[in-house]
Amino acid sequence: MNNATNFISIEGLKFFGKVNASISHEIKNILAIISETAGFLNDLTDLAKQGEDLKLSLLENCTESIAEDIQRGFDTIKQMNQFAHSVDVPIKEIKIFETVELTVKLSNFLSFSSKVEIENGDKEDKPVLTCPFLMESLIYQILLFVYESTGPDGHVLIQFDSQKKDGTSLIISTPTNFILDGFPTPDIQRAAKFLGFELNINSSNQKLDIWVPYVSKEIVALEKELQINLKS
Amino acid sequence: MKIILVDDEQKFINMLAKRLIMRGIQADIAFTGEDAIKKVRDTVYDAAVLDIKMPGISGIQLKKELKVIDSDLKFIFVTGHGVASKSESNMIEEDLYLSKPLDIEILIEDLNKIIKNG
Repeated sequence: MNNATNFISIEGLKFFGKVNASISHEIKNILAIISETAGFLNDLTDLAKQGEDLKLSLLENCTESIAEDIQRGFDTIKQMNQFAHSVDVPIKEIKIFETVELTVKLSNFLSFSSKVEIENGDKEDKPVLTCPFLMESLIYQILLFVYESTGPDGHVLIQFDSQKKDGTSLIISTPTNFILDGFPTPDIQRAAKFLGFELNINSSNQKLDIWVPYVSKEIVALEKELQINLKS
Repeated sequence: MKIILVDDEQKFINMLAKRLIMRGIQADIAFTGEDAIKKVRDTVYDAAVLDIKMPGISGIQLKKELKVIDSDLKFIFVTGHGVASKSESNMIEEDLYLSKPLDIEILIEDLNKIIKNG
């Protein structure tokens, strides 16, 4: 096995574990709310049995709350399922907006994540030939780096610039400056290299520009390498 | 018994506080570590129930800061994970920790235990 396959196996497993842990944490929180609400309904029933008046508005609030949290659970499971399927095919054509949106949602399960707004100026969601899992891992690592600087009260903006024919720029910025010292980390650098993405830091306005080519020579090479290693 | 519940899951602690109040426990709530610090400065509590993972100040860091304000305050940690991780276990040391979803009767039993032992 050479470098790229090793990197995807080792770093990918770490990424997979991290995302799984954050999803399980989210599901536990949802269940905890539903459990407390069910407990509260039980308490109200006990009081009613003792002759206390049962307020219908309280019951309505509880059922609404349970329905909301069940929906939150469904959304979480949907994202978990989408993420799990990102390893089905090692290299395939994906929709860039959809992939970034999923990765942002996965990163938002972390307690220290900032609020992220994704602004898609392009009507068309551009297809990119890439390794979906590695791309999600790269964007996730970058977002974690940004969150460390912006914090849980921070606000992050992601914009797409598809004016060039051969790729899209993903531009990450915040209303306040964020510290990019130490960026990119070696792992981020390596993942970007294998995907053929370019990372540009505009230090004057503290913007991070990720160049995502629709097809790169690096991704074609990675596809060949993975095909060989998967067969062997 | 007067306690403070600290967790960023607002619906969770709102509901838990209501249920504790129904059982005769005075339960205040705080959604952030910063809010909890303010409340502990203004009010004397017997115990604090802290979520380990919170945005900003973590539950473990918060305990250290609250101890400085009130050295008699007792703590119970709550974790969204099945068990506290090894590093978390080392940091919470002698404190009790409970896993979500909580059993309210066990929580009350543990609160009575730590306050009595204090």
